[in-house]
Amino acid sequence: MEKKLGVYICGGCSIGEGLNLEKLSLVATKEYKAPICKTHPAMCGEEGVATIKTDMAAEGVNTIVIAACSGRVKYDVFDFGPANIVERVNIREQVVWSHDWTKQVKVKTKDAEGKEVVKEETQPNDDTQMLAEDYLRMGIVKAQKMNQVDPYLLENVEKSILVIGGGITGLTAAVEAAKTGYEVTIVEREAQLGGYAAKQRKQVPTKAPYTDLEPNTIQDKIKEATGNSKITVKLNTEIARISGAPGQFAVSFKPAGTKSKWDIPPKKKEEETKDKPAEAAETPAEEPVELPADQIKCEDILSSDPDAEVFGAVIVAAGGRPADPSQFEHLGFGKFANVITNTMLEEKAAKGKIVRPSDGKEAKTVAFIQSPGLAGDDSDFPYASSVTSMISLKQANYLTEDYSDGKAYIFYKHMRTPGHYENFYKSAQNNPGIFLTRGEVKSVTENADKGLTVEVHDTILGEKIAVDVDMVVLAAGMTPETQFEPVINLAYRQGPAFRDLELFDGYADSNYICFPYETRRTGIYTAGNVRQTMTNGECVEDATGAALKAIQCLESTNRGMAVHPRSGDMSFPEFFFQRCTQCKRCTEECPFGALDDDEKGTPKPNPTRCRRCGTCMGACPERIVSFKNYHIDMIGSMVKAINVPDEDEEKYRIVAFICENDALPALDMAGLHKLKYSADIRFIPVRCLGSVNTIWIADAMSKGNDGVLLIGCKYGDDYQCHFVKGSELCNKRMDNVAETLGKLRLEPVRVQQIQFSIDEYEKIPEAIGKFVEVIEGVGFNPMKGF
Amino acid sequence: MAEGKLIKPDLNFVKRVMSSGGESLKKCYQCATCSVVCNMTPDDKPFPRKEMIHAQWGMKDKLFGNPDVWICHQCSDCTAYCPRGAKPGEVLGAIRKVSIEHYSFPSFMGRMVGDSKFLILLLLVPILLFGVVAPYVGQLIPPQYLPEGRSPAYLHEAMSSSGPIVYAEKLMPVPFIDTIFICAALFAAFGFFIGVMKYWKDLTAFGGKPKGSIMSAAVATISDFLAHKNFKKCEVTVDRSKSHLFVFYGFVGLAITTTWAIFYLYGLHRESPYPLYDPMKILGNASAIGLLLGISWVISNRMKNAEKAGKGSYYDWLFIGDVLTIVVTGILSEVLRLLGIGILAYPVYFIHLVAIFFLFAYAPFSKMAHMVYRTTALVYAKSIGREKES
Repeated sequence: MEKKLGVYICGGCSIGEGLNLEKLSLVATKEYKAPICKTHPAMCGEEGVATIKTDMAAEGVNTIVIAACSGRVKYDVFDFGPANIVERVNIREQVVWSHDWTKQVKVKTKDAEGKEVVKEETQPNDDTQMLAEDYLRMGIVKAQKMNQVDPYLLENVEKSILVIGGGITGLTAAVEAAKTGYEVTIVEREAQLGGYAAKQRKQVPTKAPYTDLEPNTIQDKIKEATGNSKITVKLNTEIARISGAPGQFAVSFKPAGTKSKWDIPPKKKEEETKDKPAEAAETPAEEPVELPADQIKCEDILSSDPDAEVFGAVIVAAGGRPADPSQFEHLGFGKFANVITNTMLEEKAAKGKIVRPSDGKEAKTVAFIQSPGLAGDDSDFPYASSVTSMISLKQANYLTEDYSDGKAYIFYKHMRTPGHYENFYKSAQNNPGIFLTRGEVKSVTENADKGLTVEVHDTILGEKIAVDVDMVVLAAGMTPETQFEPVINLAYRQGPAFRDLELFDGYADSNYICFPYETRRTGIYTAGNVRQTMTNGECVEDATGAALKAIQCLESTNRGMAVHPRSGDMSFPEFFFQRCTQCKRCTEECPFGALDDDEKGTPKPNPTRCRRCGTCMGACPERIVSFKNYHIDMIGSMVKAINVPDEDEEKYRIVAFICENDALPALDMAGLHKLKYSADIRFIPVRCLGSVNTIWIADAMSKGNDGVLLIGCKYGDDYQCHFVKGSELCNKRMDNVAETLGKLRLEPVRVQQIQFSIDEYEKIPEAIGKFVEVIEGVGFNPMKGF
Repeated sequence: MAEGKLIKPDLNFVKRVMSSGGESLKKCYQCATCSVVCNMTPDDKPFPRKEMIHAQWGMKDKLFGNPDVWICHQCSDCTAYCPRGAKPGEVLGAIRKVSIEHYSFPSFMGRMVGDSKFLILLLLVPILLFGVVAPYVGQLIPPQYLPEGRSPAYLHEAMSSSGPIVYAEKLMPVPFIDTIFICAALFAAFGFFIGVMKYWKDLTAFGGKPKGSIMSAAVATISDFLAHKNFKKCEVTVDRSKSHLFVFYGFVGLAITTTWAIFYLYGLHRESPYPLYDPMKILGNASAIGLLLGISWVISNRMKNAEKAGKGSYYDWLFIGDVLTIVVTGILSEVLRLLGIGILAYPVYFIHLVAIFFLFAYAPFSKMAHMVYRTTALVYAKSIGREKES
């Protein structure tokens, strides 16, 4: 595309008062020879927009740089269609709203008697003007370097959905997706559908007034699924492998419990699924894995199964397994016949009246234990949650249903009944046969008749008590299936399972608050108990959400768009393979496993798995990864466009790479609240700190800038990074940068990374001020001027 | 294992408290707002929080012998402030009822008085006694054995009689009334005696032997009663201190009147009816009016505070209804007699007799028993020094 640049500078929202717009225009017209540069008092008004449109029509302007407000606002007003490049230069929030327009200058003049006097005079603030000018330079360069995006389109996007698990979650997901017209296949390991829901007597309330147990509706759900012509059910079946990418997942099935040559081959040592620091690229020599003779030789992950079925997206509703509480010896599980878990009781209750396992006698007095009650440990049973609280309340109700003189004791550390479930708690509390107290269960002992005595301390009865019961029920949790098996068996180079499972006790990783259904495997969505312990009602809701996400994935992939979190982004990374050194860093560092390298180590991109964060671009030491509208040269050129003052001007320059997900909006908000910060700093938005290539830092330092600040999301176990690992990877790369700086005899403190969440805008000026102080402390970059 | 005390929660007790006006019992979640707002509770181990959980857990042994249950005067400050609507005031009222029932002798009587199902049966006893048994027995007795040859009449006979209205002459001669009421009073007294003995045993078992003199504790308790000292600590239902005072002194006045009348009859051999200017009559009428005012005030206070303090139980209203019936029919009997309207006067007097019998004979089982149990509990509480320091 032959670019024709038009620069439009807005004078509204006090931009015109804080800046000399004529002088600013000279940057465009003189320095960058922009054929068109116009100012307008309100560019976003009808007249302003008409000006741009007229130039587009009459002059053929197709590369539009608008210096006005933040690109996060008025994006609809300044949308000129996909055929044109638009770059927004933020001189409102980041310049005039956050910096002083004038400054006090001491001026020497002569008074009437000819004596020299020093007078204070108010002058326009040239620091603010310089800031705006730099931003305009960077904006123009960016627009010049940006190319039109050409979306990646699969030849054929398969639109059917695979649901793993035929319990209440899987069935609901299938039914909901089928209702909207998508073909669905449910794969279930057991011989029948229904999962744990089919083994329940009743379910906790799902609707107002949330006070009474509801009949179990799983059989209706099974009928609905099996009666739907769009739903195929595969019983006694497991996944051998899933290869491919969203829109084209090739799925190999196998009979449950068997081995198949399409199972994922055992991993080579160095490919363990842990994320590695950038410098871990040097790996020990690969040792071929010797397989035991009785094992089937599995095909490599890159070879394809001709019999595989193709699906567009996957919903994982694999549920979980009841956790084993036998580690808590004082509770007697596994030792005494009448100590059972809530799952065991539920199965009993579904079949009839509640009786003792030891002799089948009526169990009229039952103790429900919510927490192990270990000294100094407040925890409930592993994997317990509000759901286990509610299951105990539910089962206590069974007891008073079965026996008019039934007594249920509930000993809890925490009784968790969030939201509307409080009504369920209240109704159980109101049941005369349900006795509730907080307490620490010290022991369960067996009596002569196989009855049990439960001793409880620290109760709200104000004393240490003991009760005789017929049976004890432990409120054990449900361990997610992903804790035991990969379930999805991905033929991905990063491994068959979800990532970082050990960080989340086996639950698939997701951005819990913002993107609950997302996993780190694009196109694969978790729902139900594999994601979080849930009640039946919650499972239904969760499954519906996951079905919607799967559909969104199909409909985005179909259009060549990113699914999430850069929803609608059509750019994707391209690799200049001739220069690839097979270092595998991109394959290893991609937070989403989008790349599968071949045996030589050359990355094989799967663009529909990609989330467009640019972590591969940040990782690549050869800088062969680029997006059409976001690449090494573009950001590098922006860095170089900054006008770095000479040392004798005594002005510092700092380049800040700022994450556009949270930190950049926070910076805008700081401007919106008119918080002031140093005018020595130049912000460059990046897709994610993971996309920051160290060459940009080298560019900044070699151009004489005095420091580089990286502002991104929180990382670590409670990360807020939208791309999960980006800010963490960036931080690891900074270690290397520090080393490089040391070699150049530059102080490592000149490059720092700070973490910001979106609501911390108030702290931005302070954080920037601190960094500026550090730079002032170490002085000017000695490379200035070279 | 040795540390925990084996408890045996009694589910029936829980259900009994809930069906006796404490249906909100299980709503309590132990925040202790009640104990904080209560002006009656001692600072050490305050009530009613602990009573609430013990009742929820059916731990009746911690409630029956616990004097705190009776230190509570049901001010209902707790009920007004309870964030969960657990109405501790009403629950403690229900516990007191179940407690009265528990100590009642014979125990089936406790059950019957506390249960609306048996109301008709309980009313039938005096109705049959005065309406059928007494006249029938009277007719069996030869007139020479009857004082002044009078025999109780059937109600319709009295109603159709002529001449001045004289209840003792035309309807129920005094010896018959006395026989019936003396029996009723003995029955009640014996019931109270057994109940209080059992209660005292439980009190001392629960809280230990009295430390000070029981006599001085009793004197102090009675003097508190006379001034209604405790009631004045109530906030939400502070008016009750006055209404209850009227009822209290109304009863005291009527008790004196009754004694005086006995003296007239058996000491001076003066027979009723007595003229209106007679000092005994003046005291009787004044007490009756006081009682009427008091009980009406009680009812009006209860209506007014129903939202904050709770609407009260069957047990409460049965007692209030009986007192109201007694005082209204008592006054009407006198008025109708003076007006000479026999057709109304006799039935009203008949109702009056039934209502008084109800109060007397069923006293150890009805809310009337609070008089005895509260006194016992407070005397005991004072004797062990369990009192709010003021």
